[in-house]
Amino acid sequence: MPYPSPKESAGADEAALARRIMAVAPSRDRDAEGELYRRLAPRVRLYGLKHLRDAAAAADLAQDVLLMTLQRLRSGEIREPDRVASFVLGTSRQMVIDRRRGETRHQRILTTFAADLPPSEFSGDRYVLDNARLRRCLEVLPERERTIVLLSFYDERSAADVGSEVGLSAANVRVVRHRSIERLRRCLGWSGDDSERVR
Amino acid sequence: MNPCAAPLPIERLIEYWFDEIARDEDSVIEEHLFICAACSARLQQLAAISAGIKQVVAAGDFGAILTGPFVTRLKQAGLRVREYRVPPGGSVLCTIAPQDDLVVGRLRASLGGVGRLDVVIHDPADGALARLEDVPFNAEAGEVIFAPGAAYLRTLDTLSQCLELVAVTEADARVIGKYTFNHHRYPG
Repeated sequence: MPYPSPKESAGADEAALARRIMAVAPSRDRDAEGELYRRLAPRVRLYGLKHLRDAAAAADLAQDVLLMTLQRLRSGEIREPDRVASFVLGTSRQMVIDRRRGETRHQRILTTFAADLPPSEFSGDRYVLDNARLRRCLEVLPERERTIVLLSFYDERSAADVGSEVGLSAANVRVVRHRSIERLRRCLGWSGDDSERVR
Repeated sequence: MNPCAAPLPIERLIEYWFDEIARDEDSVIEEHLFICAACSARLQQLAAISAGIKQVVAAGDFGAILTGPFVTRLKQAGLRVREYRVPPGGSVLCTIAPQDDLVVGRLRASLGGVGRLDVVIHDPADGALARLEDVPFNAEAGEVIFAPGAAYLRTLDTLSQCLELVAVTEADARVIGKYTFNHHRYPG
């Protein structure tokens, strides 16, 4: 199923940062590097979480991919800075394939480029949860939704698997799962409609 | 953050997260996510909720109706689960030990033909306390698995509660099982 590209945002900010980094090389624009890291590291970490299902491995992946990207920008090896986000995705894909083959380059990259790491405040984590608040939000979900959320997110079961355990079709589980996630987002104040928000 | 001109629907992001879409579409979504801060931020919300749920459950700070296979997987994962199997009309002395991660009541019942099932919680002295409507169940398993939060149970001294399973139709509501739990604090 094709999706239109998000033309208005289209990574323009990241491209501008990439051009700034390339323009001053071999000197360093630390502000631009930090900002690029802050913007792209969370996306790589998400990619890693999705494909590696391991928070520490995903964090390592983000560090490795962004370090390599910054190195390539400084050395002028990235020919199209306007497509820096695509370069980062391609590098993420290759590193995940390498990790699955057991070829972990993390330690070597860290050893080589440790001094190039942006400060820790550039980690880019936007959504840090208050677990007590999440618990209160979970408690106000209808029972069926709560069970399906639990099986889906704690146990990481597909809609088909969850459906077989609770006596629903996969399609019904998807509907319930979607509805409950929207309720949680509202409850946590993460959507435009905060009518169900708790503190 | 710039708004996205063509935001990915949240249901597609959820399906992406659970590997429920075809590989070619998966790639298209990833390309979008890497150039779109707004959609990436919404996926971050899903990831944060997922991580938070794992932490809340691991802390025993969470009550829910569970499934049998899920309880089995929790035990296989190393959680210490104390289980009480109770037949209809039965009662049980129950507790939570310091080493327990989870306590579950397995309410046995004949659930064939039941469409909607409610759980009504009674305090013998004060009457009905709560009604959990339309709880999930698997009729073939012949049980409903009720798991109060372990953190809550640890706060209790002694408490008696009666649970009723109620089959609900448009025409009526029929009690198909009553179960009494007599909780006491773990000795020592």
